[in-house]
Amino acid sequence: MRHVLIACCLLSPLASGDDLFSSKIGPLLKQRCFECHSHEKKIKGGLALDSKSGWEEGGESGPAIVPGKPEASLLIQAVSHVEKDLKMPPKNMLPAAEIALLTEWVRQGAPDPRTAAPSTALNANNAWEVEFQKRLDWWSLKPMRPATTSSVDGFIQAAQKAAGLEMAPQASPEVLRRRLSFVLTGLPPSDASDTSNLPDYVDHLLASPHFGENFARHWMDVVRYTDTYGYEWDNPAKGSHEYRDYLIRAFNDDIGFDQLVREQLAGDLLPKPRIHPKAQTNESLIGPMFYHMGEHRHGSSLMFNGIHQEMVNNKIDAFSKAFLATTVACARCHDHKLEAVSQRDYYSLAAMFTTPRWTSRVVDAPGKNTVAIAQLQKLRQSIREHLAQLWSTPFSAASLQKWAAEHKDALKGIGAPLATPDDLPKKAAEWQKARETAQKANTAFKPVSFEKWVFEGEAFENGQIADGTPLIALEGENIVSRLLPRGWHSHALSSKLPASLRMPPQHLVPGKFVSLKLAGGEFGGHLVVDDHAFQNETVAFYTNTEPQWKSFADAVLKNGAQQVTIEFCTSSLNPNFPPRTGLAKGLKNNDFGYDKRSWISITDIVTHDTTGTPQDELDAFTALYQNNTATDPWERIAAWFNTVVQRWRAQQSQPGDCDVLNWLLANGLLPNKSTAGTQLVADYRRIETSIAFPRTVNSMDEREAMPVKYPLNVRGNVDTTGELIEPASLKMLHGEGITNRLALAESLVHPEHPLTARVYVNRVWQWIFGTGLVATPDDFGRLGDKPSHPELLDWLAREFIREGWSTKKLVRKLVLSATFRQDSRKASDVDPYNRLLSFYPTRRLEAESIRDALLAVSGRLDAQLYGRPILPFRTAEDGAKRLFTGPLDGNGRRSIYLQMSIMEPPKFLTGFNLPDLKLPTGRRDATNVPSQALMLLNDPFVSAMAKHWANKLAQEKQVSRQDRIRGMFSRAFGRQPDEAEMQRWSAALHDLGGDTPAAWEQLAHAFFNAKEFIYHR
Amino acid sequence: MKPHDHRYCSRRQILASASAGFGMLAMRAMGGMPLHNRARAKNIIFCFMDGGPSHVDTFDPKPMLKKQEGKAIGESAVTKRSQSNANRVWLGSPWEFKQRGQSGLWVSELFPHIAQVADKLCVVRSMVGELPLHGQQNLLLHTGRILGQAPSFGAWVSYGLGTENANLPGYVVLNNDWVPNGGLENFGSSFLPASHQATMFRAKGVPVDNIAPHDATAIQRRKLALLAEQDAVFAASTSDARAIEAAIANYETAFRMQSAVPAIADISAEPEHIRKLYGVDSTDEHQRFYATQALRARRLVEAGVRFVEITCPSFDGNNSPWDQHGHLKKNHEKNARITEQSVAALIIDLEQRGLLDETIVLWAGEMGRTPHTPKVTDTCGRDHHVNGYSIFMTGGGFRGGMTFGETDEFGNAVASNPVSIHDIHATLLHQMGVDHERLTFRHGGRDQRLTDVHGRVVGELIG
Repeated sequence: MRHVLIACCLLSPLASGDDLFSSKIGPLLKQRCFECHSHEKKIKGGLALDSKSGWEEGGESGPAIVPGKPEASLLIQAVSHVEKDLKMPPKNMLPAAEIALLTEWVRQGAPDPRTAAPSTALNANNAWEVEFQKRLDWWSLKPMRPATTSSVDGFIQAAQKAAGLEMAPQASPEVLRRRLSFVLTGLPPSDASDTSNLPDYVDHLLASPHFGENFARHWMDVVRYTDTYGYEWDNPAKGSHEYRDYLIRAFNDDIGFDQLVREQLAGDLLPKPRIHPKAQTNESLIGPMFYHMGEHRHGSSLMFNGIHQEMVNNKIDAFSKAFLATTVACARCHDHKLEAVSQRDYYSLAAMFTTPRWTSRVVDAPGKNTVAIAQLQKLRQSIREHLAQLWSTPFSAASLQKWAAEHKDALKGIGAPLATPDDLPKKAAEWQKARETAQKANTAFKPVSFEKWVFEGEAFENGQIADGTPLIALEGENIVSRLLPRGWHSHALSSKLPASLRMPPQHLVPGKFVSLKLAGGEFGGHLVVDDHAFQNETVAFYTNTEPQWKSFADAVLKNGAQQVTIEFCTSSLNPNFPPRTGLAKGLKNNDFGYDKRSWISITDIVTHDTTGTPQDELDAFTALYQNNTATDPWERIAAWFNTVVQRWRAQQSQPGDCDVLNWLLANGLLPNKSTAGTQLVADYRRIETSIAFPRTVNSMDEREAMPVKYPLNVRGNVDTTGELIEPASLKMLHGEGITNRLALAESLVHPEHPLTARVYVNRVWQWIFGTGLVATPDDFGRLGDKPSHPELLDWLAREFIREGWSTKKLVRKLVLSATFRQDSRKASDVDPYNRLLSFYPTRRLEAESIRDALLAVSGRLDAQLYGRPILPFRTAEDGAKRLFTGPLDGNGRRSIYLQMSIMEPPKFLTGFNLPDLKLPTGRRDATNVPSQALMLLNDPFVSAMAKHWANKLAQEKQVSRQDRIRGMFSRAFGRQPDEAEMQRWSAALHDLGGDTPAAWEQLAHAFFNAKEFIYHR
Repeated sequence: MKPHDHRYCSRRQILASASAGFGMLAMRAMGGMPLHNRARAKNIIFCFMDGGPSHVDTFDPKPMLKKQEGKAIGESAVTKRSQSNANRVWLGSPWEFKQRGQSGLWVSELFPHIAQVADKLCVVRSMVGELPLHGQQNLLLHTGRILGQAPSFGAWVSYGLGTENANLPGYVVLNNDWVPNGGLENFGSSFLPASHQATMFRAKGVPVDNIAPHDATAIQRRKLALLAEQDAVFAASTSDARAIEAAIANYETAFRMQSAVPAIADISAEPEHIRKLYGVDSTDEHQRFYATQALRARRLVEAGVRFVEITCPSFDGNNSPWDQHGHLKKNHEKNARITEQSVAALIIDLEQRGLLDETIVLWAGEMGRTPHTPKVTDTCGRDHHVNGYSIFMTGGGFRGGMTFGETDEFGNAVASNPVSIHDIHATLLHQMGVDHERLTFRHGGRDQRLTDVHGRVVGELIG
């Protein structure tokens, strides 16, 4: 209101039209807007206001002005500061009078007499193109230098020489032994290790399974490893530990990094997946768990616009930093400020990454259960044959009549009409009519073609089972639990077997509704997934044994969501199982969903355009009313039952028969026990027990996936969507034609790719030397560091590729160099940050190594590899958030096996700079804060380890104090004490109580608190 | 090469050089920087009302809700910043509102004690968030980003201003082993040096992890003497003596913290009238916890801690304390009973000690609550709402007895002067003498700020 008044006052003396422009608007635009929106200065957001065509064409968000409609004009919205993401000028709002002027001008149709084109006729796209070409001129985008013959030391010494430096002398054998042990395995050296021959010692360490643990942990920082999804309920990240174990195996087996790139980016798409013979896993399929790491939030796009986009951002950030050391996530809202990465690039990756279903996959090696399944099938057939014999006696009218008399209304349970003979024709007519009505109504329901439906898991992959297949009882005295109608029944052989049926996007399935006849139990159910939401809470769990119809109406696509799909699955293949606490009734909060039986049945699927579900066509009574000539009702019922049983025995069951048979079984009219049967069932149960629960991992499934185009979010605003962007890789890496993840992976591992090998060898260099040749391992761009030794970096990358992308060969090369073997004393201040490597830097152990060293030195370490995460020790629990406590010492397991909970990571590790679990972190901090001293001094875990060590020492009899102190030095510091140290520690022992268990414990505790314990030289 | 360029040396080295000299001056320099403008406040106490107290039941009276109670809100009232649909119905406040003090500021009877300090409060009624979800809003409130992955407000303040007390951390969260939605990241330092992450004090039991000495003093002293000698020799044999020496110095700090921290946490010597003021001896266990923490907040501020946050105790295993989707009346009253006396006491106590001038008290949840509900019943509640809700600040140069911004007549949407959390962050930093656009840290390819690329100082709130 106020604006209008002012506008009226101001405008009244003015003529409208061009006069207004030349007298007021032109100068105003020049004064207020040209700084950022003119060809003379800048063209931010692609918008230039120095010509009429400038605002007509507009910028990234479209035309700036809709003549005559101020309320629809972006320019007016922007100057009014109504939208948070569209405030112009960004800091200070224009005076109200000026806004009113602009508004009035637009209302008048925005007359703009400027006809001349601006001085430099560049449109925004061209401007970006020019800028883009300029930005390609950057070291890390240029080809690697050609291969030469050289060595690590050659490059290092050349640079040192140029700076007037020289290498430090070689470190002592003790120092080298400890350094190598920590650098390669993350553990202190064992007393027994022989270091007389350095290459042999290095090979010994490289062959240790602890090497894989240590290097897997390094890589886990880069890919933001986590065991939970954080947010409000800290849900378990399904199969995360399988991914961790996969990494450990891969580093130990020295799988080429090129293969690891393929697997982590596109393992589900590899034509020939890599099977681990010992672990019996499909390793390639585990790789894409890489994407699932990071926080998952509740809700979905349909519920709240923005959820999906937030998580996509995390994936793009992780991908581009981990593999390319490029900050693509900066281009979410606009073209990158510094790099050759456009906003378009960001959304092309978003399209590529959101094309597959983000769901669980079975990662057991194919055929793992083939033998057992064949045995079960065979046994089931034997049991069926046995039952066929057992059920060969026909029912007689007399016995049925007698049974009915004894069981009162029991027959009503099946709906059999106990009519007089006279009634039968009438009943038959009623049945016929009802049946015809149902059949007619059911013509509205069309069967689905399963072309685009995806089946996962052994239980469904073998297709539908025949009508009347016996479900063998897994407990109790009965032979069978029930007979199953034709359909998919995940538990038909064993409820351990995994199963999932993945529907195509609803809008691609004909009809407005899809209805399925479903049964299930033990957390078998479905989830409705919009836009591949990564943590969908629309889960339902079935508790019905008899299949029932469920209808799903096509969801209204809103909030930019492009598809809604449904997955019907056992809990093992439900990517969001267990869901947030409280959503799965009957599931305890501390149940993390491992090793659970679970089942679903699907017996019919139809599509339709109107509400409702198919009606029962009363198949069960066919044999009662059709071709049944008996006139006596009891005769007739007996004939009905006999026909159904006979058909079953002849393996010719028809629809509806199972209902009759199950009724007969449940009422004891068909025998379900026998001596021979019991033996067969015992064999069946024995084999069923031997089947292992499936190993499932949140991975990707791109089979039959709908190709996605991702809407560009103008200024990153999810409510302002622009052009739909097709999948592609980064333009600066010639990624335009790369439209799927496998092609992306292959492009990355091309031997001439300028970034992949450089980025990785730089990481390995940093893991070995503490600082990378590029000190910013996640950023090879303009805000990152430049390489200290560019030729060395290229040489290493070329060698690495030449040697089959072998991490172990690379590591071996580095640690056997004279550069690595240097002493850690600095001789000169010429190079304060030691970029020229004139000595080996003293390094604080990483959090995991500190904890692992406490376990190793005290003798508490349990060297077992792999397994499910161990809950960290907590002082308080919160069941609703699944924050439960674990053992104080983590059962002696290495820190890599502690549960990495986003919501509350292991405190001992965070105290020593465990990185933020949501963020890809190429380089950890090593801060130095008093709380670390408090931890080592007072934490109950540290004292428990001191006690453990002292107890171990006490078991060694007849050892002098001095020898014991020598032994402790050797274990804790990997060296012998000198004379002064012997005196110092002996005196301390004396003061702490002498040769008593308590004093030794204090001394052990003091070793843990020595700086030498948590640093290596 | 620039000195202390973090790309070339670890932060360990930077901090080592900063704290090697040891002592208060060095610690003040640690992370601290010259102020950008005149500081009105030195400290912040953030009373975090976790879960989202209802604005229309506390500071934003809406008689229209009572008049229209039970009537459908209609499509026009549906927004993406509320859990809303057209069939929901308006719900009047179960509490009476009154004008309070000289200023006539409206405060409901839910907060009888806070009402008594109404003239000191600067209430913003037009807070606008991004999504009506706890995790996002918590992280936005704490880290300035709905994704998190950035340092907490307290960590930024500690980083920017340093601590004034070598024996105490710069950022303390008075908590009770409670992890809010969004996780401990709400209190983390993220890419800032770890020394700026919150130190957590719990209300019952040992206040801080590992603060109670494992050893008798004499034994610990003897061990420290042994270590001092041993470590000095080791330091000399390495390339990074400064870092090792700093680590050694940390043992001296740690030794003193073992007595300094429990001493600050120990409120047993506080006089009777102060204990009574806060409600420290309440019969309600949760109120006792909250009162204890509020009183500790004052003691921490007195001792030079820059940023103190108090979380609300969870009393019924709810996902967050103020999250009353049901039982609004019963449980908002319970939350009020647990917290509001102590919040008022804190304001009164700070003022009587002359500390309120230099201490800002911020009272805020991460969201407000819908003025509507699915169905009016005795046990109904209000759902998530971020489209205009209320918070208040007091002290540290904030104007008292005023409200800023408006919601519509139903309290359902912001009607004037929308304020974002970034704006609040910017304004609070401004009062601390810090320009939010200049408090930066380079990470992930750019100079990061608490306010990201947003935020303006809301001049109307400050004197």
